[in-house]
Amino acid sequence: MSGMRARSTRREFFAKGGAILGAGVASAVGVSSAVAAGTRSGEEELMRLRRELDHAKEREAIRGVHLAFAAQIESRSYDALAELFDEGAMVNLSGVSATGKAGIRRLFAEQYREQTAAVLHCAYRPNARQSEDAVTIADDCTQATAILHVDVQLGVPLQDDCTAAQMARLQGQLADCRWESGRLEARYVKSAGEWKIASLIYPAG
Amino acid sequence: MRKYQRLQMHRIPYTDLTEAQMSEALRPTASGPVSRSALSNVLAGRQLRIVTDGGPVLEYRFRNARELELAENGGRPIRAGYGALEDRSLVLVSHMIPGTQRGYKLIVDQHTGLATVFEVYFSGYAPQEIAAAREAGREPQFRNGRRNREAQRRIWFGYVDRGGPAPTARHTYTNRLEGKGIYWKQDDDIEILEFYLSIIYSNFIELTRFGGELTVCAPSDYIMVNDHQFIYSRIECEFSGIFTLQVIDLFDMTERGVRLGLNEKDELEYSMYTGRGEITGQIATFEVFGNNGETRGPRRVYRPLETFEVMTDEQVRDAVLNKAHAFGDGKGSGAQGMGGYKSELVTHFAGRKLTVRMDDGGPVIEYEFVDARKLRWRYEGDSHWREAWYEMYEPDDRLYFFAHLLDAEFPRSCAMVAFDMKNGLATLVKGTTGSPFRNNETTVKYYFGVLEMEGAPTPPTYLRHGWTDEMVGECVTWNYQPGNPGLTSMHFYATPSAYSWIIFQPDGSGGMQWSSPGWYAKLRDGVYLMSWIEEACNGTLGVICFNQRTMHDAGFGYHVGSRGLSLSVIGARARHAGRFEIRKYLGLKV
Repeated sequence: MSGMRARSTRREFFAKGGAILGAGVASAVGVSSAVAAGTRSGEEELMRLRRELDHAKEREAIRGVHLAFAAQIESRSYDALAELFDEGAMVNLSGVSATGKAGIRRLFAEQYREQTAAVLHCAYRPNARQSEDAVTIADDCTQATAILHVDVQLGVPLQDDCTAAQMARLQGQLADCRWESGRLEARYVKSAGEWKIASLIYPAG
Repeated sequence: MRKYQRLQMHRIPYTDLTEAQMSEALRPTASGPVSRSALSNVLAGRQLRIVTDGGPVLEYRFRNARELELAENGGRPIRAGYGALEDRSLVLVSHMIPGTQRGYKLIVDQHTGLATVFEVYFSGYAPQEIAAAREAGREPQFRNGRRNREAQRRIWFGYVDRGGPAPTARHTYTNRLEGKGIYWKQDDDIEILEFYLSIIYSNFIELTRFGGELTVCAPSDYIMVNDHQFIYSRIECEFSGIFTLQVIDLFDMTERGVRLGLNEKDELEYSMYTGRGEITGQIATFEVFGNNGETRGPRRVYRPLETFEVMTDEQVRDAVLNKAHAFGDGKGSGAQGMGGYKSELVTHFAGRKLTVRMDDGGPVIEYEFVDARKLRWRYEGDSHWREAWYEMYEPDDRLYFFAHLLDAEFPRSCAMVAFDMKNGLATLVKGTTGSPFRNNETTVKYYFGVLEMEGAPTPPTYLRHGWTDEMVGECVTWNYQPGNPGLTSMHFYATPSAYSWIIFQPDGSGGMQWSSPGWYAKLRDGVYLMSWIEEACNGTLGVICFNQRTMHDAGFGYHVGSRGLSLSVIGARARHAGRFEIRKYLGLKV
């Protein structure tokens, strides 16, 4: 995102999307007061206000993409997951990575569904550092970045091929399952009016 | 009376019937089920409108005790024969829809107005498999045919519309039968042992139809009506495909049931029955308290006959001769898979010699333990020594268990030897690749005898390790790997010649299960040599020496597949889950 002119917000992005829009509306009230005080021209303030409202809408749309990603990870809807990514996207979740939409589709269809990855992300929850989440949207509203603090449920697949392990895998059973706190570093691009994930990184703990 | 069958269920080559053949076979169901017990006339002359959540609206007019009219979703009424049985305020109704391969089983509570509807149909496997394959981006598999004979079911919960507000309560899925075993004697003289060890599967031992040698498993549904009345159903997937549904009343230990499908002779069985039961036990369950299994998720079907990797003679020959590996070829078998809790390797026999002498013309093998992992062996009288990798463990005090591959020939065998340095007794379990049914299954043979070793006691003349039925009815969980939840299953030692394993679901409830023949020998009080072969599943021979005092085992797995022949270690930690008192039903000494 180098060179991107942007506005950044720190919000509880994950669970309280409604608050984002609320904040936008609140700032509009403040802007109206400023116009009344004659500090900026009314047209400028209206443009700024429109931008703020546009950004609030974009943040809500990006939040929707992220919630869809989290929901599909948790419900193991791996086929749908790849559609959330841009064609040239990259993903790296605790060291399990892929590049390009086709590669990401393969990652989820094979390494995740067949449980051959070394470690799986099974679910996300917002955590206590959620207030430090940051979403930055470029002025032209075509690119965005986000830092999202989450607890992630990490699953270590059963590696054996004995009958018991095969049956356990069919039931979604894992060798080990634990939660850890960390953060998702995401980059989004808007393409054909839709936000897509351009990169998503959860650094290995 | 026991009726033994030439082939057990998993060996029967069930006919892969066409849809047209199924339609023809099911034609007699139009007139309703037969029953030895008197069918109920409680619904005769009545009308019922059953509304289901997300399912059909069924409008019934029961013309008399054996004939009804049904309009589905406001459609044109059809006429069909039916049967009904009562249990207190519950009525179990069964009928098919003439000219189709489907019908309904209703469980209606006349007191609460709640109803559960099973839509049961045939020729439904192939469309499901095609849809599942499309979803997964793979080709549909019909290795074992299109399974038109296998019953399918859809379940809806609902109520009887009496014109007032709809009730909010519903019958629910449940785990309240989990862990229970019941012996049933039906009005048609069928005796059967049922074990509800999972919330999506069940075990049963067909005492009358198959002689009670093996236990088999079937995907099952458990529904709670109230604290003492339950609905249980199963479909004999991978076998005949027959559907069974029962209303179980735990107050008076009675059942009302219906059985629908084609048996192994492709004969139609469509009957309703009553039965009287006896509780055989209640073992532990492993969900957290407060988890009642109401949101159990989908009922999956384990299909080992479909996924079994069938190999040709040549492929097996290549595997056993060119791709044979024992214990990592001397590097150690590692702690993966079923060996996560293997005990300390016994190494102190390095440099010593041993002879195991089996009775009745069985093998006599001489050993020299070269080091901790390599031995030399030869049959007595043979001048040729062979080298082999081995691993040895001590499952009980001075009782040792080791294994190694035998000669590189086709078929190929392994030897697993338990020898007791307290009394001089030894048992040799020989596993061999190939069975009359599949090249890449294994077979097993037990030999009982004695050992000779410097410093070993003089063995008894007549006493031997021997077969036992002491473990029959026991349920033991086996945790093979550290971690939460790790790899864990439960063994159910069902008969003197069979066992079953249950795989836990992530919430601790029992999930999919399967069964196989099993053999049990007693080495000492509380120490047993148990083996099983995963017949028609993946063919593996597993042999464990189970110490009930330490609740630990030492064992070995012998498997041949496309990746080769392997001899590996088993080491797991056990918990006692409980015991079913089933000996008297199996004809064993109580």
